[in-house]
Amino acid sequence: MITAEQKPIDEIRKMIAPYKKVLAVGCGSCVAECAAGGEKETGALASALRMACKIAGEDKTIDEKTLDRQCVREFVIQLDDVIKDYDAILSLGCGAGVQAVAEMYNEVIVIPALNTEFLGETREQGLWVENCLGCGDCMLYFFGGICPLSRCSKQLLNGPCGGSQGGKCEINPDVPCAWQNIIDRLSSQNALERLEMIYPPKDWSKKHGSGPRKIVREDQQK
Amino acid sequence: MKNKLTRNLAIFYCQNVPGSQDDVRQSLEEKYGKAVRLFPMPCSGRIDVVHLLRALEEYADAVYVITCPPGACRYHEGNKRIVKRVDTAKKIIESIGLEKDRIKLITPPIELALKPLTSFVEEIEEEAAAIEPSAMHKKKAQGAGNKVQGKKEKK
Repeated sequence: MITAEQKPIDEIRKMIAPYKKVLAVGCGSCVAECAAGGEKETGALASALRMACKIAGEDKTIDEKTLDRQCVREFVIQLDDVIKDYDAILSLGCGAGVQAVAEMYNEVIVIPALNTEFLGETREQGLWVENCLGCGDCMLYFFGGICPLSRCSKQLLNGPCGGSQGGKCEINPDVPCAWQNIIDRLSSQNALERLEMIYPPKDWSKKHGSGPRKIVREDQQK
Repeated sequence: MKNKLTRNLAIFYCQNVPGSQDDVRQSLEEKYGKAVRLFPMPCSGRIDVVHLLRALEEYADAVYVITCPPGACRYHEGNKRIVKRVDTAKKIIESIGLEKDRIKLITPPIELALKPLTSFVEEIEEEAAAIEPSAMHKKKAQGAGNKVQGKKEKK
């Protein structure tokens, strides 16, 4: 899941200041799960902005609409009928959602209301943790399903580093040592021999090597 | 008895609060007219930030949330969750220039577990006399009393 957090209201107000009619567009997928840009959060932000504008004596219209998914064009086209009524879109989607909307409506200003953070997991209610970098070459099999690149502070493929104390990382005692977890997991699976292998430096060309990545699946295309 | 309210209030309350049956709500609505809007909720944990903001935006000079006493929530932690949501809503309204005390959480101590809804509302009525009109509704609030004031911003 892509996680995000809402920008401060003051920052959002500055960005929407030049526009008189603004549509706040939420997204019902990842950012709804992380309580940043779903229907409730979109309603709350739009309400707060309307109040802020009214108190400041600004003549502004701020409406709201939440799409099921803002990064898929089939869902974004629901804006076709309403977008002409607005000067700007305030998107509560992730960075991909903001860009999908901006790409579809070139003439409309699209403003991000969220800071997109990381690929993560909902660990418990109200707690999201980063556990995937999207490296393009998954090695989770070798590490018992725990990614050292996203969860080890030093991104070590051949750990542990020796700084772990009591199962916690030396850079911050609140951070669990990923390598302690990897060893515990592989021990419980009788698979510690996977760590006898020396892993060469990560081939980052699959992530950053040739510019923006894309996936083409001909069997899924028209 | 005539009410003393000169401000418009939204009162959200857990339906587990004693004496909060529908007939009580109706009699309170008759007494206070449109100045008090009562929102019975299955649990205070069902109330979200957006509900509190919308009430302030559309109508209310102040919003009250009445919960069960600590440890008495039938869903175990609804009255704990609302504490954090009220805090979040207070921070939001403060950031836009409204006083944070326009949202108030009432959690009675366990000794007052049998305190009925009408007593809470009467106390709120007394307290509300000191509330200044909200910057959101200043013009409307003059002589508010029982006038309808819930119109949403023009879209």
